[in-house]
Amino acid sequence: MARAAAAPTWGAATPLEDVSGEVAIVGVGEADHSGPSGRDAVAIGAQAVERALADAGLAPEDVDGILYRGGIGPQFDEHAFRAHFGTRKELFASPDGGAMSWAATAPYLAAQAIRAGKARVLVNVFAVDWASRRGQMAGGPGVFHAQERMKASLEVPFGWFPQPVYFATIARRHMHEYGTTEAQLGAIAVACRRHANRHPTAVLRDKPLSLDDYLGRPMLVDPLRVEDCCLISDGGAAFVMTTPERAADLRRLPVRVLGVGEGRSETGTYWSQQRDFTSTPQVFSAPAAYAMADIGAADVDVLATYDPFTIVALMQLEDMGFCPKGEGGAFAEGKGLHFDGGRLPYNTHGGLLSHAYVLGIAHVVELVRQLRGEAANQAAGAEIGVYGGYTGALASTLVLGRP
Amino acid sequence: MSAAVRASHPSLLPDPTWEPLRGFWVGAAAGELRIPRCTACGAFCWYPRERCRRCGAAEFAWAATRGRGTVFSFAVVRRALYAPFAPLVPYATGLVALEEDPAVRVATRFVDCEPAELRIDLPVHAVFRALEFPGAAGSLPAPFFTPTRETR
Repeated sequence: MARAAAAPTWGAATPLEDVSGEVAIVGVGEADHSGPSGRDAVAIGAQAVERALADAGLAPEDVDGILYRGGIGPQFDEHAFRAHFGTRKELFASPDGGAMSWAATAPYLAAQAIRAGKARVLVNVFAVDWASRRGQMAGGPGVFHAQERMKASLEVPFGWFPQPVYFATIARRHMHEYGTTEAQLGAIAVACRRHANRHPTAVLRDKPLSLDDYLGRPMLVDPLRVEDCCLISDGGAAFVMTTPERAADLRRLPVRVLGVGEGRSETGTYWSQQRDFTSTPQVFSAPAAYAMADIGAADVDVLATYDPFTIVALMQLEDMGFCPKGEGGAFAEGKGLHFDGGRLPYNTHGGLLSHAYVLGIAHVVELVRQLRGEAANQAAGAEIGVYGGYTGALASTLVLGRP
Repeated sequence: MSAAVRASHPSLLPDPTWEPLRGFWVGAAAGELRIPRCTACGAFCWYPRERCRRCGAAEFAWAATRGRGTVFSFAVVRRALYAPFAPLVPYATGLVALEEDPAVRVATRFVDCEPAELRIDLPVHAVFRALEFPGAAGSLPAPFFTPTRETR
């Protein structure tokens, strides 16, 4: 890549053991995704787990490990699992699973638990009720940043808050450095919407969006429009993991975990201070995951990345090596990301932008369906699928393979 | 602003006595933009951190800057995303790269200008105004940035 002469030093990859081939995903399930539903995250998570187990053909008693996200309010954890399914069974439990970057690293945690003999059949689950709770959250999901004291002192009082402001600022800088255009960002929004329009579980399945529609919409935080920003949804999803041996006995075509990567920015979630302002820690994560999987970016048949804003989708295309840095706009424009005839089928369920804001776990579900060959927007001949997770401070990469 | 909004945002005003940023607010009260500088190697380190990003030393002094820089990037908030800023919409906010070290980026709201005047790399300088919020008690002198129009 022209601009990537030296390895970047503004962050690093997390050293991970090679777990390639040790875990398979054998069941996936989505809860109902919607606007305000009145349901809480625990109930939504329960529905997702029920459906994932049904898909796998497994009973709750077969599960001996659960991965969820801790520290963000009530989730469907081991206590909720036992209460919901009426079992007193002991479960291996980790609060380090869930969605965002952790939807990619959950299979790594599962592999470690399996190696250590702590569990053999594990569920990773994540759910949000943020559409229902939006009114109680300062700046919506921005509440997590408003509570961080440095930001609360130096950013929030000056109006540099919440996330649409951060990413509008990043988008404008990317436009300045590389000539990225509004129409190129719009192409990402349009591709995701088209996929959602053809997807049965997408919140925006009934709302089409053309590029002309996009360009005609008003700015929300200039240079971003509402259409550049993710939904706020209630919803969730879960996936079931086990060993390849156990997977061979189950009803579904197992999808193999070939590689996992994680990278971090030295400035954490202080986007304002990240040295390379227009990049994501995928520059550290993706190469590590590809190395574990023994693939290159050119081998990827279908991609799903965390897409809170179109600009984050665009930066990850570059940072994961699908095009040189700065050329993400040209890569995405037109039908570049469409599932049928594009350069790279991308977020074929519609992503956070148009499917549901369940923070990336539905991205992994979609990739599993792609690799099984049963996706609503099936990419032809999909054998390698990659998920790119993102939190800001962290990025992660999960390489999945058709058996 | 409704009572409910006030209740849910009890204090958007920073606490100027919080130790990691005390020198910043002391500087603002004196009309200076001050940034922590490593006493060993002279590097500006922003945001405040325990150890120097360049040499690893742990001693910093709050150094006055000229309060000048350029627009690193900006966003124009056209629709209120956060109730306390609704009265200001549309407003321009973004990051200023400081003259002394452009790696130091100060988040700001741009004042005394139309958003349409702003562009990346535009020279700007700090002006000190009361940071205050309608319907909320208290104020605090704080640096905002405005385009530098005079020839330098």
